[in-house]
Amino acid sequence: MKKLAILLLGLALAPAALAQQRGEGPEQQLLAAGLAEDTVEVKVNYAGARIVLFVSPLARENATSGLAVALIGPSTPQDVIRNTPAGRQRFEFVAAPTVFAIGTEPQVAETVKPDVMIEAGLNAATSAMPRSDKLMSPDLDAWRTAFVNLKMSQGLYSFDDTTIERLDGGLRRVRIPLPPNAPPGDYRIRAVAFRNGQSVGESEQVLTLVRGGMDATLFDLSRQHGFIYGFLAVLLGVLVGSVAAWVGRR
Amino acid sequence: MLIHLPIAQIAVDPLIIIAIGMLVGFLSGLFGVGGGFLLTPMLIFYGVPAAVAVSTQANQVLATSIAGVTAHWQDRAVDVRLGTLMLMGGLAGSTVGVGVFSLLKYFGVVDTTISVLYIVFLGVIGGLMAWESVGALGQAGGDPGRRTRLRLWMRGLPIKRRFPRSGLYISIIPPLGVGFFVGLLAAVLGVGGGFILAPAMVYLLGVPTRVMVGTSLFQIIFLTAYVTFLQATFNGTVDLVLALVLMIGGVIGARLGAAAGRKLKAAQLRLLLALVVLAMAGRLVYELYVAPKPEYRLEGTR
Repeated sequence: MKKLAILLLGLALAPAALAQQRGEGPEQQLLAAGLAEDTVEVKVNYAGARIVLFVSPLARENATSGLAVALIGPSTPQDVIRNTPAGRQRFEFVAAPTVFAIGTEPQVAETVKPDVMIEAGLNAATSAMPRSDKLMSPDLDAWRTAFVNLKMSQGLYSFDDTTIERLDGGLRRVRIPLPPNAPPGDYRIRAVAFRNGQSVGESEQVLTLVRGGMDATLFDLSRQHGFIYGFLAVLLGVLVGSVAAWVGRR
Repeated sequence: MLIHLPIAQIAVDPLIIIAIGMLVGFLSGLFGVGGGFLLTPMLIFYGVPAAVAVSTQANQVLATSIAGVTAHWQDRAVDVRLGTLMLMGGLAGSTVGVGVFSLLKYFGVVDTTISVLYIVFLGVIGGLMAWESVGALGQAGGDPGRRTRLRLWMRGLPIKRRFPRSGLYISIIPPLGVGFFVGLLAAVLGVGGGFILAPAMVYLLGVPTRVMVGTSLFQIIFLTAYVTFLQATFNGTVDLVLALVLMIGGVIGARLGAAAGRKLKAAQLRLLLALVVLAMAGRLVYELYVAPKPEYRLEGTR
């Protein structure tokens, strides 16, 4: 663990130096962060995963310093339907994260205002992008709130399950749950450091969720060789039924 | 222990899935119905996406029907000739039904039509069956009388054939018509149609209850194989892992159901089936008119 911490601290110095070379202000630094594993394989025994991220501390921290980390992705078009006595209403989000999990340290929750979180790209509701002609819709907030609530009920959005733990030297270990119904694809893990209620550093990692083993074989077969998959499905039914009949006779 | 379903993309407890399969398989073996009308909502309730639930249940019903039909085959209670005729009508009916479904969808009345059709059919069939079987229980508890007014009218129809296993000498038009009508409804309502076919065979064609169960299962085998193949090939929505786990429970349940059926009188069987049909109609009425509906819902990825 200590070796990893030293390695990450070393990593932290490099981007900071690069940022200074690029002439960025000292208030906006690149955070050094590393995933324990950047690829998660979905196999038949996959029942969700816990992503572990290490984030190095910023050079100058005070009592208000804290970290917020979000797992976001993959973005897809999604519709929310509202049933009213007058009929059905539909609201289209052209891009919205399928999965969103966020965790914040207590200092962040106490000192950072909601609009700062939105600017930092850490707000679940504002991550759902409506069609351009609906951007100024007066009902946009209500539709976004409904969308987030529906996602939470599916277990795909979570706001309480991500934990951030402070280790020796201020190093943070972040554990983010990846739900079992998370679809394969690329996920962004966004870490933002705050001080005095303002964002002072950030980093973004990419996590890939890929199918593996029998899960991948069956999925690929169903998509690329539908005819064989269909034949296999019928054969499976006939085989299991016949075996059961044979066992029953004996 | 959880297992991940590759097509449904969720993790499920295999023991719960086996229990669901077993319950539906038991009903299948007992009554000769596929059980899709029960299996699909149960899977959706457990969290399986609707498209995967609808497609995969057909695959499970295929296996349980094969397991169930063999028990009836041993008892010489499967009328292959009659089943084949109804199957031919059913395939033609489901092809026409797909067109009718598209038409209803085009006019935007598909949801209302399906709901009303479901309630009317289930209510009428279940009610009549319960009424008749309660009356029959008070007597010998056997099959309904063979000389009903409707059947006397059907005796005048041409192209008569003998169906020795059912003890019938009737025109081939009614079995073809019943199969066609059930196939049409099955396509419009999105279910196998066993719960309509089974009473139709007993009351319209005069098939003995015990032969009805095996013959209905015989027909369901081919229909579900056809549906499974189409859904797996063209939509890719059949989840083989889910189907396999469901089948394990289903085939055990089907054998138990068939064994339980042998211990019951024909009228008792019909009364139980009537109660299942009426319960389903009641559930639909509750969902449509009583249960609070969520204001918002997600409509998946476009």
